[in-house]
Amino acid sequence: MSFTLHNYVLSGNCYKIRLMASLLNVTYESIAVDFHPGQEHKSEPLLQLNPAGTLPVLTTTDGTVLTETQAMLVWLAQQHDPSNSWWPVHSKPQITRVVQWLGFASRLTATVGELRLHSMLNKPVNVTAVKTGAKVVLRELESHLTEQRINNLQWLTGDTPTVADIACFPYTALSPDAGIEHDDYPAIRRWLHRLRSLPGFITMPGIYELHELRKPDGYTVSDATL
Amino acid sequence: MTTQPVGLSIDLAPQQVMRAIDGQYDMAVWRSTSGVVSAWENRCPHRGMRLSYGFVRGESLACAYHGWHYSCEGYCHYIPAHPELTPPKTVRPVLYSVVEQSGLIWVNTEQDAMPVALPDDLQPVRSLVIECDLATAVQALDTRQPHGGVESLSDTPKIITFETGGISQGAVVAIQQSQPNRLIVHMLVQSAVTAKDKIALSRLIESVRRQAESACNEAT
Amino acid sequence: MNGIEHALEYWYPIAMHNELSNGQTRRARLLEKELLLSGGANDSLTVTCNERPLALQSAFDHWWVTLSENPLPLFTIPEADEAERRFVPCGVVRVACSPLRAVENFLDIAHFPFVHTDVLGAEPHTEVYKYDVKIDESKDEVIASNIRFYQPQAAKSAEGGIETEYIYRVPAPMVAILYKTCPQKADAMDVIALFVQPLDEQTCDVWPWMALYDDTSTMADLIQFQQLIFLQDRSILENQIPRKLPLDPGLEIPTRADLTSISYRRWLKKRGAYYGALENC
Repeated sequence: MSFTLHNYVLSGNCYKIRLMASLLNVTYESIAVDFHPGQEHKSEPLLQLNPAGTLPVLTTTDGTVLTETQAMLVWLAQQHDPSNSWWPVHSKPQITRVVQWLGFASRLTATVGELRLHSMLNKPVNVTAVKTGAKVVLRELESHLTEQRINNLQWLTGDTPTVADIACFPYTALSPDAGIEHDDYPAIRRWLHRLRSLPGFITMPGIYELHELRKPDGYTVSDATL
Repeated sequence: MTTQPVGLSIDLAPQQVMRAIDGQYDMAVWRSTSGVVSAWENRCPHRGMRLSYGFVRGESLACAYHGWHYSCEGYCHYIPAHPELTPPKTVRPVLYSVVEQSGLIWVNTEQDAMPVALPDDLQPVRSLVIECDLATAVQALDTRQPHGGVESLSDTPKIITFETGGISQGAVVAIQQSQPNRLIVHMLVQSAVTAKDKIALSRLIESVRRQAESACNEAT
Repeated sequence: MNGIEHALEYWYPIAMHNELSNGQTRRARLLEKELLLSGGANDSLTVTCNERPLALQSAFDHWWVTLSENPLPLFTIPEADEAERRFVPCGVVRVACSPLRAVENFLDIAHFPFVHTDVLGAEPHTEVYKYDVKIDESKDEVIASNIRFYQPQAAKSAEGGIETEYIYRVPAPMVAILYKTCPQKADAMDVIALFVQPLDEQTCDVWPWMALYDDTSTMADLIQFQQLIFLQDRSILENQIPRKLPLDPGLEIPTRADLTSISYRRWLKKRGAYYGALENC
């Protein structure tokens, strides 16, 4: 066990850490926090751990407490990716781009993420503001991924995935939960599909596995048409 | 009803499904593993699930809800809950006519799809949604023309050639009128253009979108 | 004919016990009416509609409200009186679907391998074997029994795959109760219920509730297991068209695996429970 994660199954930010850990094949101890309906993240024991009252919270074996999701992704890659590809320390230009998109990920949480909590759990938010914000953010991501495609680059910052892709993935993929379909965003659709194809990919509610990749025993697709 | 361009071919890779909306028609458009494109009514006949949420296995589209498998001809041929059952031929969504030509996917919901003939060697730039009416969008495109208004290749669907400053060949813009205030603009360009120029075009069309949507918002 | 008069005769979940503290208020919607909930002393609650106080009763860790002066009696769950069970209210989730579609999906097992992959089902174990459905005439409930299905992780407490037995009860149009094999207690069945609060014909708030034998999992673990399952269903429910449930066969084609759904639709039609159902069906 390399760390402990205070975790909530429906949180896109918690899922970032679960997904990154799975892609890096890292095991950890998960502690379920009753975010809804219990509001346990706002309870005194959790506030003592993280005064911001947010999830996830990552505690390393040496006792360091991380409360910012994007920092947790960087920590995981630094500790557990000997190839240095997820946190590309050997490329100064690329790592600058990675940090740019880690910042962008927070805007996804603040718009799509908030709208999703409103749609699902009736969280009071300024619906018009987060809806408008979500469209702005998704359009920016779509345009960037379009330009990457024109340059024959598959991922947000280059030709391999980094922590930036993981940071931006969950709330983009979960936008239908908030009533925003992916219909208008072809480049985003292709990038989501590519990410879901990675070895070690795991799901969360609202993000399904690619059933097309599953090879079920005892059943072969019949190409014969009727 | 006319034949509408619903997407760029490159935006629908093998084993992918997308949704296309044309007026009151809601469609699942998908490409099989071998590359065959189909456009269907976006509704599984079993329990009404949108087929655009489905997944492609081999030459079949399967519904996300119960995994019912449909062949490229639309017939259900496998129901996982009853592996031995041969489904009746009545289990079939409505199929629409679809053709791929000039890097675009063309659909007609009422008769055979008849794509508009476009110049050879077109390369895709991008598709993007503009939330405004057709006249406002065309007006915004007009203002970006160094030599006056855009030239139409077709009025239904609206397809125009677009002069692009500094880039020798013009672009082609095919506009799908998805819904009254929702256009999907498919931009293509002749193949000699560099990646840098394609990106310039992509940013230009975004700028056109900002202008058109803001004009549309002011009007309402 | 949208059946609202019929729907008004029932009790609906509106809040969990102890959800509102003394003096706290919250707005809610039920059958297109705006309600105001006010917490009182000693975990009490009052609910008003246009300043008219509504009848309330407490059951299954929830408050139940009715808009009727002369409502039908609330259904019963005998297992709610078994003190050794753990009672788990799981909060509320909003879904943009007909309340009847939410109930029908809960009665369906054939979707498990595709929607709850590797938890409640997995290919190639997709076959739905013959099971029994009847209308219990004394209680006027739909009962489905003898349902068996292979499940990779049937419950939070399950270790590895088991063949699970299911029994379903539908005691009211917007309530479904499931009894399933308890991984920890061979002679008992876990109870999982879905209580649906209809906001209107195409939007509902869903309150899952469980009565389990499980003395190992934490409460947060149990709630999150149920939320994992229900939120996987949510994206299906929001993408079924038409949004309202068709009651007559014809628009949607069922198979033998859909026997519970077929009986549920017939039972709704017979009692005139058209709220959330497709008109002229």
